[in-house]
Amino acid sequence: MNWRWFHRLGSPPYVYALARRLTPWFGWLSGLSMLAGLYGALLVAPADYQQGEGFRIIYVHAPTAWMSLMVYTTMAAAAAVGLIWRMKVAHAVAASCAPVGASFTFAALATGSLYGAPMWGTWWQWDPRLTSELILLFLYLGYMGLRGSIDDPQRADRASAVLAVVGVVNVPIIHYSVTWWNSLHQAPTVMRFGKPAMPGSMLAPLLIMLLAFTLFFAALLLVRLRAEILNRERTASWIPEVLKS
Amino acid sequence: MSQFLDMGGYALYVWPAYAITFAVVALNVFWARRLLERARAAARRRLGVGGGEGA
Repeated sequence: MNWRWFHRLGSPPYVYALARRLTPWFGWLSGLSMLAGLYGALLVAPADYQQGEGFRIIYVHAPTAWMSLMVYTTMAAAAAVGLIWRMKVAHAVAASCAPVGASFTFAALATGSLYGAPMWGTWWQWDPRLTSELILLFLYLGYMGLRGSIDDPQRADRASAVLAVVGVVNVPIIHYSVTWWNSLHQAPTVMRFGKPAMPGSMLAPLLIMLLAFTLFFAALLLVRLRAEILNRERTASWIPEVLKS
Repeated sequence: MSQFLDMGGYALYVWPAYAITFAVVALNVFWARRLLERARAAARRRLGVGGGEGA
């Protein structure tokens, strides 16, 4: 197997240039698919027979919840690569994930609360799904706090990476919480075995939204990664060149 | 139109959920851009390079 691509991804100037080139693609594709998803979510999808028009919250709740888990998994994987191969770029990726993940975890909790209030008659329950998602928010905040409290960048990278990797056990707990325990939260509609529990006109906007948010994360990550690289490669000789444009 | 805005009586839950989500999206765009601009400005000052938008 040819490992050159992997070594290249360890090279800050290569990654910086690649990130710069790819950002507009991810950004525009994400924006367009978000508009298409919104159109489908608000105007095309039929009302649910049980939840009525209120079910349309799922089109923002499921994507934000998906982001909270996907961003954390990315962060933990990057942190693990950084720990194992001592790769600076991987640590920069992990550090770039945390604020994005924290903000979308907050959005998932807030939209979930707005979904729960009319459907379950409560804004909050100490339910397995809700509690484990709240722990995810604390993991993100703990990760950011830990990074911020250590001055030496390499020690900050390593310590926060250990926290990120250990915390990844929470991800399957969140996902399976509705299956393992009796939860108020409904069971998965898309990510389950067999056919999704939704007709196509309801499902398509949801899938488009999930794609749009995933592309959005990619665009954000590429921009944040460039900032992280600039801050880390303080004296590298390639930097003046990229600052000209 | 007012029927659409009413969301079958769920307006007070649906619209805030959408507003929060897209506020978080917009904030993330703003934060990421500001982070990169600040990193570029700091690198310019550090390395004494001019050029580009703002110096």
